[in-house]
Amino acid sequence: MAAVLKPPGNFTVTPHKMSVCILLQIYAPPAQTTLPFPFPFSSVAQHNRLGMFLLALTKSCDDIFEPKLDELITQLREIVGELDHQLSDHLTCRLSSLSSPDDLFNFFSDLRGILAGPDSGVVVDDQIILDSNSNLGVFLRRCILAFNLLSFEGVCHLLTNIGTYCKEALSSCPAYELPHLDDSSNEVEALLVYENMDLENFVFDKVTEETEARKMASERVSFHIHAPKALFGLIEGIITSVLCCKVHSSSFPLNAFESILRQLQKLAPELHRVHFLRYLNNLYHNDYPASLENLHCYFDYSAGAEGFDFVQPTSSASNSFGRYEIALLCLGMMHFHFGHPKQALEVLTEAVRVSQQQSNDTCLAYTLAAICNLLSAIGISSTAEILGSSYGPVTSIGTSLSIQQQLFVLLRRSLKRADGLKLKRLVASNRLAMAKFDLTHVQRPLLSFGPKASMKLKTCPVNVCKELRLSSHLISEFGTESSIMITDGVFSTAWLKNLQKPMGSLVLSLENASGANSNAFHFCAQPNSIPGSVLQLLGSSYLLRATAWEIYGSAPLARINALVYATCFGNASSSADVALAYTKLIQHLAVFKGHREAFAALKLVEEKFCSISKSRILLLKLQLLHERALHLGHLKLAQQVCDELGVLASSVTGVDMELKTEASLRHARTLLAANQFGQAAAVAHSLFCMCYKFNLQVENATVLLLLAEIHKKSGNAVLGLPYALASLSFCQSFNLDLLKASATLTLAELWLSLGSNHAERASILVQGALPMILGHGGLELRSRAYIAEAKCYLSNPSFSVFENSEVVLDPLRQATEELEILEYHELAAEAFYLMAMVFDKLGQLEEREEAAASFMKHIKALENPQNEQDPLFNIH
Amino acid sequence: MSSKESRRNELRTAIRQLSDRCLYSAAKWAAEQLVGIEQDPAKFTPSHTRFQLGSSSIRRRFRTTEIASTPTAGVSSVSTPVLEEDEAIDGDFYLLAKSYFDCREYRRAAHVLRDQTGKKAVFLRCYALYLAGEKRKEEEMIELEGPLGKSDAVNHELVCLERELSTLRKNGTVDPFGLYLYGLVLNKKGSENLARTVLVESVNSYPWNWNAWTELQSLCTTIDILNSLNLNYHWMKDFFLANAYQELRMHNESLGKYEYLQGTFSFSNYIQAQIAKAQYSLREFEQVEVIFEELLRNDPYRIEDMDMYSNVLYAKECFSTLSHLAHRVFLTDKYRPESCCIIGNYYSLKGQHEKSVVYFRRALKLNKNYLSAWTLMGHEYVEMKNTPAAVDAYRRAVDINPCDYRAWYGLGQAYEMMGMPYYALHYFRKSVFLQPNDSRLWIAMAQCYETDQLQMLEDAIKCYKRAANCNDTEAIALHQLAKLSKELKRSEEAAFYYKKDLERMEAEDREGPNLVEALLFLATYYKSQKRFEEAEIYCTRLLDYTGPEKETAKSLLRGMRKAQSGFSSIDIEHLPP
Repeated sequence: MAAVLKPPGNFTVTPHKMSVCILLQIYAPPAQTTLPFPFPFSSVAQHNRLGMFLLALTKSCDDIFEPKLDELITQLREIVGELDHQLSDHLTCRLSSLSSPDDLFNFFSDLRGILAGPDSGVVVDDQIILDSNSNLGVFLRRCILAFNLLSFEGVCHLLTNIGTYCKEALSSCPAYELPHLDDSSNEVEALLVYENMDLENFVFDKVTEETEARKMASERVSFHIHAPKALFGLIEGIITSVLCCKVHSSSFPLNAFESILRQLQKLAPELHRVHFLRYLNNLYHNDYPASLENLHCYFDYSAGAEGFDFVQPTSSASNSFGRYEIALLCLGMMHFHFGHPKQALEVLTEAVRVSQQQSNDTCLAYTLAAICNLLSAIGISSTAEILGSSYGPVTSIGTSLSIQQQLFVLLRRSLKRADGLKLKRLVASNRLAMAKFDLTHVQRPLLSFGPKASMKLKTCPVNVCKELRLSSHLISEFGTESSIMITDGVFSTAWLKNLQKPMGSLVLSLENASGANSNAFHFCAQPNSIPGSVLQLLGSSYLLRATAWEIYGSAPLARINALVYATCFGNASSSADVALAYTKLIQHLAVFKGHREAFAALKLVEEKFCSISKSRILLLKLQLLHERALHLGHLKLAQQVCDELGVLASSVTGVDMELKTEASLRHARTLLAANQFGQAAAVAHSLFCMCYKFNLQVENATVLLLLAEIHKKSGNAVLGLPYALASLSFCQSFNLDLLKASATLTLAELWLSLGSNHAERASILVQGALPMILGHGGLELRSRAYIAEAKCYLSNPSFSVFENSEVVLDPLRQATEELEILEYHELAAEAFYLMAMVFDKLGQLEEREEAAASFMKHIKALENPQNEQDPLFNIH
Repeated sequence: MSSKESRRNELRTAIRQLSDRCLYSAAKWAAEQLVGIEQDPAKFTPSHTRFQLGSSSIRRRFRTTEIASTPTAGVSSVSTPVLEEDEAIDGDFYLLAKSYFDCREYRRAAHVLRDQTGKKAVFLRCYALYLAGEKRKEEEMIELEGPLGKSDAVNHELVCLERELSTLRKNGTVDPFGLYLYGLVLNKKGSENLARTVLVESVNSYPWNWNAWTELQSLCTTIDILNSLNLNYHWMKDFFLANAYQELRMHNESLGKYEYLQGTFSFSNYIQAQIAKAQYSLREFEQVEVIFEELLRNDPYRIEDMDMYSNVLYAKECFSTLSHLAHRVFLTDKYRPESCCIIGNYYSLKGQHEKSVVYFRRALKLNKNYLSAWTLMGHEYVEMKNTPAAVDAYRRAVDINPCDYRAWYGLGQAYEMMGMPYYALHYFRKSVFLQPNDSRLWIAMAQCYETDQLQMLEDAIKCYKRAANCNDTEAIALHQLAKLSKELKRSEEAAFYYKKDLERMEAEDREGPNLVEALLFLATYYKSQKRFEEAEIYCTRLLDYTGPEKETAKSLLRGMRKAQSGFSSIDIEHLPP
C-alpha cells in the first residue's frame, strides 16, 4: 500500500499538500525570501512543465489517497529531468526541517508571500507572482485557510503526519497498519480505480458489476475515490453512487479484494461505500447472503442523517427521508442478478411505490427501466403468476394485455419519463432496451379496432436501427461538455498515473490470435474525459448491433460490430460484456474457419477470464465441444456435454431461458444424430411448447426447422414440409434472413427426397437461397447448399452428367473442401459418395477410386469415433 | 478447613496481589465475592487477627505453586504477601511507579520502571504503557472525529507491547498477569486465536484475575469456541461459564450456574445482579424488580447494572420509582454511562424524547460501544419519527453486536414505518432468527406481511402461528389468526382460533370488542353448520352485551328457533300417522 489516506469530504492540510506548497514556492519564489537556488530552471519550458505538473497535482487533490513522498519525487523526475535531485532534496529538507508547531506557522505565513496581494502595485522584475484567483492560487489559499482553521491538536497531528510521511520516504518500509496490502500489492500490481458511476451501469446492463482489467507498471495499489461532495454534484441530482471497481480479472479472487476493503474500512470508517464495494465483490462472486448483508448495511449507514456528510442536492425536497428507495432499487437488481425474479419484482414494486411517495422521479425512472429489464430478460408466461395484486405500474395498464405488450408500454413510459427528466444516460439505455425489444417482437397496434387496423406481422429492423442510432447520440453530448470539473480531476489523476506508462497500442486481432500470447488481449485505452458509464453504454449499443446482425443474418456486420466493441470499449465495460463479445467472435471463427481455430482462440480467452464470467465462456466451450462431437460422430460425448449444459441453467422457472432453450435444442440434435427420431421429435415438441409459452418466437423458428430436419432424416418428407414452411414464415415475419435461407434449403431437400419429379422445384429453391448462403452462411450451411445443388442436378432426369459434369463436380469439390476443414464426417462422406458416383458415370476410374477412398475414410471415422484421439477434447 | 474458608483465603490473597498490580477492577470484583461468602461469626475474630500475621515460608510455597499449577484448596491458606528481600530495592521504584499509576500518570509510572526486570515491575510498566496508549487513543478519537463518529485511532503502544510480551512468553519469563496483558493486546490487535490461547494459559495458572476471564469471555462468540477451551477446573471457572452462557444467550444454563454459585457466595451482589440479568432476558420482570430492590437496599450507591433495572421500571411504567432511581444515580455519579441511560429512560417514559436522546447521546459519548444505549436511542428516534437517525443508531448497535435482536427488530420497524414493508422483512427475519421464542417479533413480522402493500396473508398466518406457539402474552396472535382465517373464508380454522381465543380470554377474565367478535363469529358459524345448540349458547352470551351485536344475536336466535320449529314440523308431517 503506497498511498496515504485522508478523511474524505473536507479540505484538510496533509503532508502531500504541503509538498505541493513547497514546490509552488519553488515555481513562484517570493521576492524577499532566499531559496537555496534563486531560479533553478534551465529553460522556460522546464519551468512550464513544473507548472503543468503542479496544476495536475492540485486538481487531483480530491482523491482520498495521496501519493507518498517517494512517489511524488519519482513523478517529479519524469517532469523536470536533471533538476530532480535539487528539487527533491529541497523538498525533503524543507519537510524534515518542520519540527515544531511554530515552524508550521512560519511556513504558512511564508506561503502568503508568493500570492499576489489584491493591490500589489510594485512588482519586481521577472518575479513570478501567483494570481490569487488562479487554480494554483486558490489551492494555496485553501491550504492556508485550512491550516488557520486547525486547532492546536490538529497542528500536532499534522506534525506527526509529516514525520511519518518523511520517514516512509526515507526508509520506504511499509507502515505498520498495512502489512497485508503491501504483500498483495507487490504481487498483484493492480490499479484499482473507483470511478464515479451512476445507476445506469446497473440498469441497462443486467447488474453486472463493472470489473475489468487494468494492469499498471507502477508497483502500487491505488484507490481513487472522489470526494463525495464532488460526486453528488455530478449527475442531475442522482443521489446514488454506484461504484465501479476495476479489478484485474484473473488475479483477483474474492479474498484479496476483501482484504483490501477491510483495510480501507479500517482507514476510513466513515466511507460507507466500502460496504457497497464489498457488496459488489460478493455479488460478483455469487455470495448471496454476504451481498444481501452488505447492501443493507450500506444503505442503513449512508441513508441515515448522521452517516455520511455529503452535500444533499438542493433540488430534492425529501432530504429528511433519506434515499431508501434507491436501496430498494439496488436490492431488486440484486435479486434479479441472483435469478429471483419474483422477489426482484416485489422489491421493485416497493421501489416504485416509495419513489412515488417521495416524489423521487429520477429513481422512479430508473426503477421502471429496471422492471423493463427484468421483464425482458426473464421468461414470464403469464402476469398473474408473478405479479402480486398490488403491482402498480402493470395493473394500471390493464390486465388484458399480454406481458409483451405490457413491457412495451412500460418501456415507452420509462423512456418518456427519462426524457422528461433529462437523464441522458437513462434515455440512451432505454433506447437500447427498446431496440432489444423491437429486435424480437412483432409490433402490433396496441388497440386494434375496426376493420382498417392493419395487421402487418413483421418486426421492424428500421426501428431497431433508429433506436440504436438515437442511443449513440449520448456520446456527442458528453463530448461537448467535457469541462465538468470532476471529470477534469479524474483526467489529471489519470494523466499523473500514466507518466511512467508506455503508450500502448490498441490493436487487437483475433485472426492471428492463435499465434499471439495472451497479451494480445491486453490493451490500454488512453485516459479520456468521457465518463466510463457513457463509454459502456455506447459499447453496449455496438454489442447489441452485433446481436441484431447475428439475428438478421449478416455475419460480416455482426463480426465487425463485435470487433469494434472488443477493440474500443473493452476497457470501459464490464467483463461479462467483454466475454460476450469474445464469445461472438469465437463463434464466428468456429462457423467460418472451423473448430481448430475456434478452440485456439478459446484457450486465450479462457486464460483471460479464468476467474470471472465463467458461465459465459464455459457455455461457449460446451457449445463448441458439442458441435464438434456431433460432427465427429462422438455421440456419447455430445450427450454428456449437452447434459452439462443443461445443468448450468437455474432451476427456477422463467430464469435462464436462453440457456434452457439451448440445452434442449442441442439435446434434440444429439438424438437426431443418433437416429432416434421419435425421441428427438418429442424433445423438439416440448421445446416448442416452452418457447411458445414464454414467447420466444425467434427460437421457435429454429425449433420448427429442427422438426423439419428430423422428419426429413426419418424419411418422412411429407410430414416435414409443413414444419419447414412454418419455419419459413416465422423467419419472414422476424426478418431472420439467414435462417430463412437455411429453411429454404431444408425445404428444397425435402422436395428432393419426394422424388425426381420435384427436382426442378427444389433447384429453384436452392438457387434462390444461394446468394444469401454464399454471402453470409458458414462452412456447414454452404456445403449443404453445394450438396443440395449437386443433388438437384443429379436427380433431374433431364440433366446429363456427360454433357456438363463440372456443374455437379464443382460444387461437390467446394463442399468437400469446406467439410474437411469442419471435420464433418457425415456430410463429407455424402459429398465424396456423390463425387465417386459421378466419376464412375464419367468413367474416370482413378478419380473415382480417390473419392471412394475418401468416402471410406469418413465413414470409418464416423463409425469408430473412439479411435480418433483428438487433442481438442482434452481441454474439456 | 471448609471450602468457604479456603476460598476466602484465596480471595484475600488475590485481592492484595491484584491491587498491588493495579488491576483494580479485578480486585474490586474479588473483594465483592469475598464479602459475598457467608461469614462464619464464630471464626470471624480469630481469622481476622490471624491475617495480620505473616509467614514467608508459606508464602514462598504459594509462589511456587502459583505458577506451576492450579492451587488446590489447601494451597490458598496463605496470609498477607510480604515483600521478598531481593525485591526490596526495586520495590522503592515500584512504590513510586504505583503511586504515579494511582494518580493516573501512566507514562510517568512506566518511565520509573524502565530498567526494572522483576516480573511485577515489567507487568506494571507494560500495563501502564497500555493504559497510556488507550488514553491517548480516546483523546485522539475525539480530536479527529468527535465522540460518536467512528474513528481510525489506534493504541500506538500495542506494537511494542506485543513484541515485548511475545519475547517474554517465548523465554518463559512471563507471569500470569503478563499473559493476561498479552492476551489483551492480542485481542485488540485482532489475533483472536492466539489471544484465546494466551488467556487460557493465564487463567489456568492464576484463576483469580476476573479481568482475564472477562477478556476470554469476550472472545467466546460461539458455544463451540467455549467448549473447545482447555480450562482446568477451579471454582472461578463457574463464574466464567455462567457469564459466558449469558452472553451466548443460554439464559437457563447461566441461571443454573449462578444459583449453584449462590450456595457459597450467598451474599454476593454480583451474582444477584447477574441473576437479575438472566431473568431480565427471560422477561421475568417481577423477579428482576424484587432482586434489584434488595440490591439497592444492600448497596444503595451501586450504579452497575442499574440501567437494566431502569428498563424494567420503564417496561412496567413505574414513573416515580424510575425518577427516584434516576435521581439517586445522578447524585452518585452523573457521568457514568449507566446513569445517563437511566435518565434517558426516565425522559422517554415521560414522553420527552428530545431530552431522552440528549442523555443517551451523553451515555454514548462516555462509552461508544454501549450497546443498549444505541438501541434505546434508536427507539427514541423512532418515537420522534426521525427514521434515518433511528436506522443509523440501530445499525451501529448491530455492528457492535450482531446478535442484538432488539436492534434488528428496531431496524425492521423503522423501515416499516417508512412504507417499505418488503425491505423491512429482511430485518425481522434476522431478529426472529436470533430470538425465535419471542412472540412479539413474530407478530411484528406477521403485521409486516399483512400490510396493504404486501398482502402476503399466507406468510402472515405462518408467523402468527409461530407467535401463538411461543407464549404470546398479549394474545394478539390468536385473534389475528382467527381474523385472517375468516378473511380467507376458512371458517373451520377461524372457528378453531376464535374458540381458542375465547377460552383464553375467559381464563384471563378479559372482556372487550375481541370477545364480542369471537362470540358473534362462533354463533354465526355454528348456525351455518346447523349446530344450533352451540350457536344458541354463544348467542345467549352475546345478549349480555350492548350494541349492534346484541340485535344480531337476537335475530340469529329468532332465525334458529324458526328453523328448528320448521324442521321439526316438517319432520312431524312426514311421520306416518
